[in-house]
Amino acid sequence: MKLSISRYDPERDAKPFLQDYEIDLVATDHMLLDVLLRVKAQDNTLSFRRSCREGVCGSDAMNINGRNGLACITRVRELREPVVIRPLPGFPIIRDLFVDMTQFFKQYDSIKPYLVNPEPPPEKERLQSPAERDKLNGAYECILCACCSSQCPSYWWNPDKFVGPAGLIQAYRFIFDSRDRATKERLDDLDNDPYRLFRCRTIMNCAEVCPKGLEPVGAIERIRLKIAGVTDPVGALDVHPPISPR
Amino acid sequence: MRTRFTGLKAWWVQRVSAVYMLLFVLFLLYSFALQPLRAFSQWHAWMARPVTSVAFLVFFTALLGHMWVGMRDVLLDYARPAALRQVLLFASAFGLLGLGVWLLWILLRLQG
Amino acid sequence: MTPPDQRLDASGDRLASQIPETSARDIALVHRPVFLNLMRIQLPVGALTSIGHRISGVVLIASVPIAVYLLGLSLGDEAGFLQVKALFTRFAVKAAALVMIWALAQHVLGGVRHLLTDFDIGSPLRVARRSAWFVNLAAVAVALFAAGALW
Repeated sequence: MKLSISRYDPERDAKPFLQDYEIDLVATDHMLLDVLLRVKAQDNTLSFRRSCREGVCGSDAMNINGRNGLACITRVRELREPVVIRPLPGFPIIRDLFVDMTQFFKQYDSIKPYLVNPEPPPEKERLQSPAERDKLNGAYECILCACCSSQCPSYWWNPDKFVGPAGLIQAYRFIFDSRDRATKERLDDLDNDPYRLFRCRTIMNCAEVCPKGLEPVGAIERIRLKIAGVTDPVGALDVHPPISPR
Repeated sequence: MRTRFTGLKAWWVQRVSAVYMLLFVLFLLYSFALQPLRAFSQWHAWMARPVTSVAFLVFFTALLGHMWVGMRDVLLDYARPAALRQVLLFASAFGLLGLGVWLLWILLRLQG
Repeated sequence: MTPPDQRLDASGDRLASQIPETSARDIALVHRPVFLNLMRIQLPVGALTSIGHRISGVVLIASVPIAVYLLGLSLGDEAGFLQVKALFTRFAVKAAALVMIWALAQHVLGGVRHLLTDFDIGSPLRVARRSAWFVNLAAVAVALFAAGALW
């Protein structure tokens, strides 16, 4: 199998370049991560993040044949060759496939990703009905891998001002949590300037590439409708079977 | 950024103006399909009718509002640094105002 | 400055915002390249519709002053009206009109799709992809139809 992987060593290279590799696939190679680890065994200067190898930590998000995905759940035999692997678009490249996620996490942090409830805690749990809990389905599963934000053109143009689909789906998760008491503040924060939420043009790249099949665009739409005072959504967010890179 | 024309207000202006313009254009296409324009006198008389003129006035207002939100979106996305963006936004607003005055003159001239 | 214990995550680590400003700034000061070659990034059909919507919008904005001028000319007097009619027999004008008609169709159809998804109609990805295809193809169809009508 032929691969072209983006390489960049800040101490040696002026800019990133593609390096070709050739790997003989064996029967146990199922996912792209398996192959990348064997590439690293061949050339151990290649650097990339990886951890859980089962699609739940989000570490190995990368741009595979032009489309973002998680290397550990991308079936390697379904990929067009040569497999071109680049770092997540729009994010500063630290080295090889390592990108700087600082800005991304700053945006996440800015939407206050924690429950705000000043009421005295009850004896046991803060109760939620099944219907109330259902509203969080399609949002809580987000693993913050950044596949969505790094495929969103609006985020490319203004990563410091537009919160991005990942931050906004997390904002949704707290705005529509019945146990949270800061709804008005959360909505005001997203409406107060024309960038935080309203840069979204419903391009839908986010939903296309989410490796968990989530649809941040739907979450953003619901937040917008709530800000407008038009509707209060019921039920879970739409999800779909994830679409892998080809 | 001015907080007056926040994300939500702009979004509503864009959507409401779009709906009005869509209905208006469909109505225009229907009218012209039924009665195609042949002569200047027919065209002038039809436009000069108060109903038509007022409907067009509302249409132009919607058009300018819609154009403003669209231009602003493009500038907010791409124009930097902030100072240049402000200049371009002002220039666009000025241009649209000019267009508005021109259109008003064309409509008023019909009544003269 | 918030008290330290309110901004810890579940395992007791500091949240990103609590990392001292210097480290974020230090990272920003180092020049880092960015991969943003649009020729190498896949553009799904929805992205093409969105690009078409924006380009058509800009084309329409550019054509409004011209349209206003023609409107004024045609309503001024008989001579002006005939002048406008004569203009539309010229090839260059017809070609420009064709581009504007495509732009109008792309923008309006894309806009209707946006209006519907705003109100939760046709917003799941599968449905939205199909509507995106429809918008792109229908706009071209309108342009072809208009070409037939113009020539």
